[in-house]
Amino acid sequence: MPTNVVMPQMGESVAEGTIIKWLKKPGDHVERDEPLFEITTDKVDAEIPSPAEGILAKILASENETVAVNTVVAIIDGQGAPESAKAVPETSTVAVKPMPKATSTKPRAESSPAATAPPRAPVQAGEKLRSSPLVRRIAREHNVDLSLIRGTGLGGRISKKDVIKFLEGRTPAIAEIPAAKPAASQKPAPSYEPVIPFSGPTHVAAMSPQRRLVAEHMIASKRTSAHVTTVFEVDMTRVVNTREQMAGEFERTRGLKLTYTPFIARAAVEAIKQFPIFNSSVEGTNIVYKQAINLGIAVALETGLIVPVIKNAGEKDFAGMARAVQDLASRARSKHLNVDEVQEGTFTITNPGVFGSLFGTPIINQPQVAILGAGVIEKRPVIRDDAIAIRSMAYLMLTFDHRVIDGAVADQFMAYLKNRLETWQEPVL
Amino acid sequence: MAEAQSTKSQNKIPAPDAQTLERMLYYLKLTREAETRIEQVLYRQGKIVGGVYVGRGQEAIGVGSAIQLLDGDVVLPSHRDFSSFLIRGFSLREIFCNWMARSNGPCRGRDNTLHIGDMSRGVIPIISHLGDTCPVACGVGMVLKWRQSGNVALVHFGEGTSSRGDVHEAMNMAAVMKLPVIFICNNNAYAYSTPTEKQYAIKDLDVRGAAYGMPGVKVDGNDVLAVYSTIGKALERARSGQGPSFVECKTFRMTGHSAHDSAEYVPKELFEQWKKKDPILRLQKVLLAQNVMNKKQIDILDGEIRKQVDEAIAGAEASPFPAGAEALQAVYCDADCWWKNTPLE
Amino acid sequence: MPHLTYLEAIRQGIWEEMERDRSVFLLGEDIGSYGGAFNVTAGMLEKFGEDRVIDTPISESAIVGAAIGAALMGMRPVAEMQFMDFISCGFDQIVNMAAKIHYRWGAAVPMVIRGPSGAGVHGGPFHSQSNEMWFVHVPGLKVVAPSTAYDAKGLIKASIRDHNPVIFYEHKYLYRRIKEDVPEQDFVVPLGKAAVRREGADIALITYGAMVWTALEAADMLANEGISLEVVDLRTLLPYDERCVLSSVRKCSKVMLLHEDTRIGGLAGEIAALIAEKAFDDLDGPIVRVTAPDTPVPFSPPLEEYYLPNVQKIADAARQLAAY
Repeated sequence: MPTNVVMPQMGESVAEGTIIKWLKKPGDHVERDEPLFEITTDKVDAEIPSPAEGILAKILASENETVAVNTVVAIIDGQGAPESAKAVPETSTVAVKPMPKATSTKPRAESSPAATAPPRAPVQAGEKLRSSPLVRRIAREHNVDLSLIRGTGLGGRISKKDVIKFLEGRTPAIAEIPAAKPAASQKPAPSYEPVIPFSGPTHVAAMSPQRRLVAEHMIASKRTSAHVTTVFEVDMTRVVNTREQMAGEFERTRGLKLTYTPFIARAAVEAIKQFPIFNSSVEGTNIVYKQAINLGIAVALETGLIVPVIKNAGEKDFAGMARAVQDLASRARSKHLNVDEVQEGTFTITNPGVFGSLFGTPIINQPQVAILGAGVIEKRPVIRDDAIAIRSMAYLMLTFDHRVIDGAVADQFMAYLKNRLETWQEPVL
Repeated sequence: MAEAQSTKSQNKIPAPDAQTLERMLYYLKLTREAETRIEQVLYRQGKIVGGVYVGRGQEAIGVGSAIQLLDGDVVLPSHRDFSSFLIRGFSLREIFCNWMARSNGPCRGRDNTLHIGDMSRGVIPIISHLGDTCPVACGVGMVLKWRQSGNVALVHFGEGTSSRGDVHEAMNMAAVMKLPVIFICNNNAYAYSTPTEKQYAIKDLDVRGAAYGMPGVKVDGNDVLAVYSTIGKALERARSGQGPSFVECKTFRMTGHSAHDSAEYVPKELFEQWKKKDPILRLQKVLLAQNVMNKKQIDILDGEIRKQVDEAIAGAEASPFPAGAEALQAVYCDADCWWKNTPLE
Repeated sequence: MPHLTYLEAIRQGIWEEMERDRSVFLLGEDIGSYGGAFNVTAGMLEKFGEDRVIDTPISESAIVGAAIGAALMGMRPVAEMQFMDFISCGFDQIVNMAAKIHYRWGAAVPMVIRGPSGAGVHGGPFHSQSNEMWFVHVPGLKVVAPSTAYDAKGLIKASIRDHNPVIFYEHKYLYRRIKEDVPEQDFVVPLGKAAVRREGADIALITYGAMVWTALEAADMLANEGISLEVVDLRTLLPYDERCVLSSVRKCSKVMLLHEDTRIGGLAGEIAALIAEKAFDDLDGPIVRVTAPDTPVPFSPPLEEYYLPNVQKIADAARQLAAY
């Protein structure tokens, strides 16, 4: 196993060091702790002992060269020498630059020069429209053109009172609707009107409100996003082994059942960090990148589907993720979720595999731009080194919104995810 | 702690028995070997990052004092008292894990060097604001005094630190309240680059004891037997309810302030002079002369120590680093305490 | 139910905890036979003896350091700062030693540092400061500032029982000026929970300490003008009750932050940032601060009066915000 030799940090403030002399040549055998090279920094001169035993395979920084601390200056090919923990190879995944941040939405009228208008309505073209973040939100939710509202606040500003008054007086039909989303609940659930009616006996049951909401949401999502699904086959053997080895210890020390979901959730979160576009939403012609990764986990209930959200999942370690998954899932089942625990998801994971499904094509949970699904994990014969081997395999599928994500990016995301699961290294305890 | 409580005599401390002498030599040598690896090998290999401070040449102070402590005593060592940690029961591997920033070091990667503590082993660590442990020792002393267990608190600091207000406040408070606290000044001649004549205007610091109303003595800090007997007297005083003492141990820092300091400001002759007073060689000579150990036994001991250090370093290197997100844990102590609920290894 | 002043409520809270738990003890300057500069510890020496009510030399750093040492040994020290202004002399022990021990090596440091703070009594620059933000910026500490007698008792008891270093700010202006029925039986007010002192609809006024009373007076006055203020008393400043703050902001859509502390780096700025981050879409107007100006606390009564926030300043700002 090769060991990297690095430029040490000789003093807290020291940023670089110069190699004065190599005491060994490439090909030489070195003992661990045997002097290998001499350096000088602005604080001290020192002889640097070799971190491992082996053959000096390569010198990467020559004499009189100045390099930053922690730069690899040589490689030692060890014979069983333990690899220093510092010499973990750099990850070589495809680098994707995060896209530039979208600027926040502004009402169109604001681009024109400012003018302080006395309260009157409607606002003339070319005048500045004054409102507040709250008023703009209400307007967005209720599809209100703010330029039609007469502002009574300072300088003709449209206040919360103004927009609510306007909504109440707009049309009787809308004013009667109590819910926050009148446009949606007003319509019947989408359905298909058959040309030839079924002639046999039927039984009619009204949809539950939750069913109706799911129905609307699904159709709206299909109408909104350009759904494309990509499927990857993933060797889960390492994850399965880790789970089997650690399940007892995990339950003993953490008081939690060790399931596969936190493995997939952790891998997904790391993949999202590499490809921030998967943590975005589309607003008009803008892509809005969310800073926090709020991970939705689809939970199947008898009454329908619910997606509790792990807030700030990007900051959780493995155990924290496992705890959050179990907590939200069990409270979803016992119906003890708070309203804010099913809101503001930025990416969703669904797990049809629990019912035996090989793979599916999940529908995006709006306003998100992708959803990850996991099929059943089962042992399958696969080819490894030209021989048939038995491995624990699963299909992972990603449905993404082709409006903002191209196939190549989606596949890079999945390749990263696959690699992370196949070479699972993160400690679970 | 196998030592029996010392006798009631007021001025004569019985000389250490053969077993204690052997243990003292062992801890002196173990400390020297471990710190040498830290400073001259692991740090230069990049396996230890951050600051490196060792106590080469000063080992006798920690050994000669901590070796006499009993169960229930508390020591607040300085960063140059590596041996105190060993004697109070920290394993070499634990200590190396801490130096190497591993998750199973006593600080779990949250703090470095010898900033390691454990109340069950009676060790409270320094913070980098040296001198802050002196008032803390007073609080420990208050509790020990109420408990009337005859236990003591022993706090180490350097002659540079002795200029800080916290040291004065603490020595005054300890004297006023007659607390069982022993203030040990490891006077190693340099505070970073500052020599003693720029630190204080008196010749010896021991006179300060009288100024606060406690005994003040000075002792050759490179003579572990002298340290043993002087600290022994102070311990006896404190254990019998007579209050604090101040002991100035004269020694010399045989390195720079830290591993990145080549100490050009120290005249070369001083190093030469003090090298002759090396505490390990001095004790070794006594042991040979008294036939407590022979040359062969000492060679075996040296080999054993190298092996122990090798094994501890290998163990530390095989230990994991903490996960980044662990940084968020345990800012507060609450009922669901992370330290208690997350067992090591 | 006994009718207690704010000061008596604190005394009763400490008294009950000392009776309940042998590990609780007091240390500070002049707290024994003299009973403390403000008499908070009067009668304690007689009742609990000099082992548990300890007069110390004038050494704030040693007082705090000794409290830390005792806490590490399993005690629950309550250290008095004669004035919270003098806490600066023990600053290093608090922020570097006490606050970081649990994080660094896992030992609990259950201790309380308490004392009088705040202006309004012509104490001048060194007996009037509101320096709580020095500690709100230090992870590992808790910072508490009660406004009522009931809370003062319940919060001092909760602070003594907490496993962390708690800095407890008593407002000296309130010591003998407010009086209320305080239950005799054992109760605590949990740390980290704010209280809505008055429900309102138009403006959420978030404050703490003595300013709670000023805020309530202003709310009374403005109600007559048709402006409805909701008054939130934070009670604990670190960790503060984010949920309560945001829910009042969402309810009222406009928000005003009030404190006696100076402006730059005051808690109002921190909470304003929180609101901007988490409730931007709920705001119907700018976030407004009413605070002391960025000067030392001046001595002469006209200067001090000019310096402190008052009903008039709150009302002026509230009228403008309501009309926005």
